[in-house]
Amino acid sequence: MIYLNIIGVDMAQPRVFCLVLLTVALGAQALTPSHHLSLSDVERLKGLLSQPFTDLASAYYSIVGLSKLGASVADENDACQFLKAQLDPMSVDSLFFAAEASQAISDCEMPVSNETRDILLAAVSEDSTVTQIFRAVSALSSLGLPLASQEVVAALIARIAKEDNVLAITTALQTATRLSQQAELGGILEEIEDLAARLDDLGGVYLQFEEGLEATALFVTAAYTLSDHADTEPPLKEDQVIQLANSVFSKKSWDSRSEAFSVACAAAALSSNRFHVPVIVSTQGPATVSHSQPILHLLVTDILSNPLASASVLVESAQAVASKSVVLSQAPFSLRDGIFELNFMASQPASGYYQFAVVVTGDSRLVANQVELKVKVSTEVAITNMDLSVVDKDQSIGTKTSRVDYPFKAKGSFTADSHQNFAMTFQLVDVNTGVELTPHQVFSFSCVNILMFLLSFCQHCIVLHLLRVFCFSFQTFVRFHNQKTGQEVVFVAEPDGKNLYKFELDTAERKSEFDSMSGTYVLHLIVGDATLENPILWNVADVVLKFLDEEAPAAIQSKTLYMPKPDIQHLFREPEKKPPTVVSNTFTALVLSPFLLLLILWFKLGANISNFSLSPSSVLFHVGHACMLGLMYVYWTHLNMFQTLKYLAIIGSLTFLAGNRMLAQKAVKRLASK
Amino acid sequence: MSNSVISVIYRFLEEYRTKTSNKLKVVDAYLFYILLTGALQFLYCLLVGTFPFNSFLAGFISCVGAFILGVCLRIQINPDNKGDFLSISQERAFADFLLAHTVLHLVVINFIG
Repeated sequence: MIYLNIIGVDMAQPRVFCLVLLTVALGAQALTPSHHLSLSDVERLKGLLSQPFTDLASAYYSIVGLSKLGASVADENDACQFLKAQLDPMSVDSLFFAAEASQAISDCEMPVSNETRDILLAAVSEDSTVTQIFRAVSALSSLGLPLASQEVVAALIARIAKEDNVLAITTALQTATRLSQQAELGGILEEIEDLAARLDDLGGVYLQFEEGLEATALFVTAAYTLSDHADTEPPLKEDQVIQLANSVFSKKSWDSRSEAFSVACAAAALSSNRFHVPVIVSTQGPATVSHSQPILHLLVTDILSNPLASASVLVESAQAVASKSVVLSQAPFSLRDGIFELNFMASQPASGYYQFAVVVTGDSRLVANQVELKVKVSTEVAITNMDLSVVDKDQSIGTKTSRVDYPFKAKGSFTADSHQNFAMTFQLVDVNTGVELTPHQVFSFSCVNILMFLLSFCQHCIVLHLLRVFCFSFQTFVRFHNQKTGQEVVFVAEPDGKNLYKFELDTAERKSEFDSMSGTYVLHLIVGDATLENPILWNVADVVLKFLDEEAPAAIQSKTLYMPKPDIQHLFREPEKKPPTVVSNTFTALVLSPFLLLLILWFKLGANISNFSLSPSSVLFHVGHACMLGLMYVYWTHLNMFQTLKYLAIIGSLTFLAGNRMLAQKAVKRLASK
Repeated sequence: MSNSVISVIYRFLEEYRTKTSNKLKVVDAYLFYILLTGALQFLYCLLVGTFPFNSFLAGFISCVGAFILGVCLRIQINPDNKGDFLSISQERAFADFLLAHTVLHLVVINFIG
């Protein structure tokens, strides 16, 4: 027995949900983020950064990265000691890593000397690379040493002109964040816009540098940190911010510590800068409400999955997808324990799908704060007034109707032969509201599976109802199962105008579906829809069907449908019938016999070859002629036309010349003798 | 009626025997032989069947072609027809006969299969 599960495909994961959300939203309004760091992603990121470090660079990435995520290293003292031990006071890079990392740890001071200061200041010049300048400036700033911001700006601008690649300019932007606010940062701020123009747009969803994820993440960090520092809004549009966020947070497992560090910095920048904060709206669990669960829970967080404290969430409109009627308008969500709640069932919506337009307000920095959600209202169905009857075709005998209650089975079995029809009527009622359930309720994708399954059994009846399936209506299937032969035939019960579902089986008309196999069929009713919480598989009754002209071998047909078919042997063309050899031999002799007759006649006439002159030309002629005849035979047995013509040309020309000569001699002789 | 037919045939045969030259009689014998061969092939086809049809056609057309060429030769070497064939000597007629036969045999052998 095959059990069909007709529960709809519910979207359990918020991420998948966001993707569906995105595909819905893309057509409609602004972009919403399709990727962000969920709590488990943040933990994974922290885990990668917490791995033990072996050198200053990895220590820097770990310590600073974790601090950006709001966490810290396992043992801070140990880390501090490690930094001090590994520090090489002569190297700018070493000083940078140690200084930055020690800033992130509380109570960790790096030793500073005049030499250190001189080395760092010397690195700030047009001759060092941007990275060197950045590291020197950062080290100077972290160690609390004075630096001349204007000189740095001049050096940076000179270097940018020489090193025109993405990473260099990003590093320059980062350097500018450590300078004093009085410095002329305008020239460097303009670089943000130029750099943003170099981003690659992938399908309108992702915006990233071809240099990769790390470069994009570092750019996001630098742009926002610098914008905050200079108090100027970054020249990035809302859609661009979302696309950048999608690119940076689409990768959930990171190859290296530096990549993880860049992602952590970007996440921190996007969740706490002064201008653009992307907001993530998702449902907690599946977006379904029902009588048992009437409350819709929403999680409103930033990119690091931290809940937004000061937000307020409002449903602008909730519209039924099928009927397009607005059920709810301007309804606020209430905040409880960091989760936004709304009791949707209080508005008593009919079961089906609803399109929610949700708006998050409360902070002018919020980006992508208008979100579309698809919410499903599901219900429980009950089957009432199930009547089974056997109706005579000519209606001479009254119909015998039996009522069956769910989940019981009808007591007796119903018999229908070719003069009778088997009929079934019932109604579907919403358990909670008592309202009759009508067709045209939104349907789910799982029915495609059922369709493929059913199509293999019942071609005629289901094909007719295919149109209805794609029009998304509530489906009720009536399944006949022959226990003995394993045959299954499925039909659809259709509702009439008064929402009464009817099914009638005309035994004579439908005998081809049943392969005319008479016998006892177990009848099941299958009711399902995406908005149903309790799909029904109900063994209603046993039906004995009697068909005329039963053909037993047909029972095997359905089983052998997928078995290998018998091999087809190639039939070669039969040679034609030949006459017996005796006959053909006789006739061969017969056909050759006139030659003998000819010889006899010639002999009688006195034909002779006494006039045969043995001149070379006549000999040659006769030899050539004989060769030509021989060539004909060889042509018949071995050669093709081209070869024959070749030989014929040679022999023929010889024969011709000889013959010409011979005949000329003969002519002369004849004329002379006349 | 039959009497006159028989007498006509008899008269014809007499004239033939006396008036035609030996050379022509030789050619006539050859023509008769060709005729017989063709007739026998046709009889076989009628009695036994046309398999293989291409071979039958080749053989039959060979006989027909040879007969026609023989007839042409006979006409051309008949001294009574000299006026019609002033430019064609007997030897020339024979050479033509041979050439035509070469072509005929080529075609027949090609078709005989």
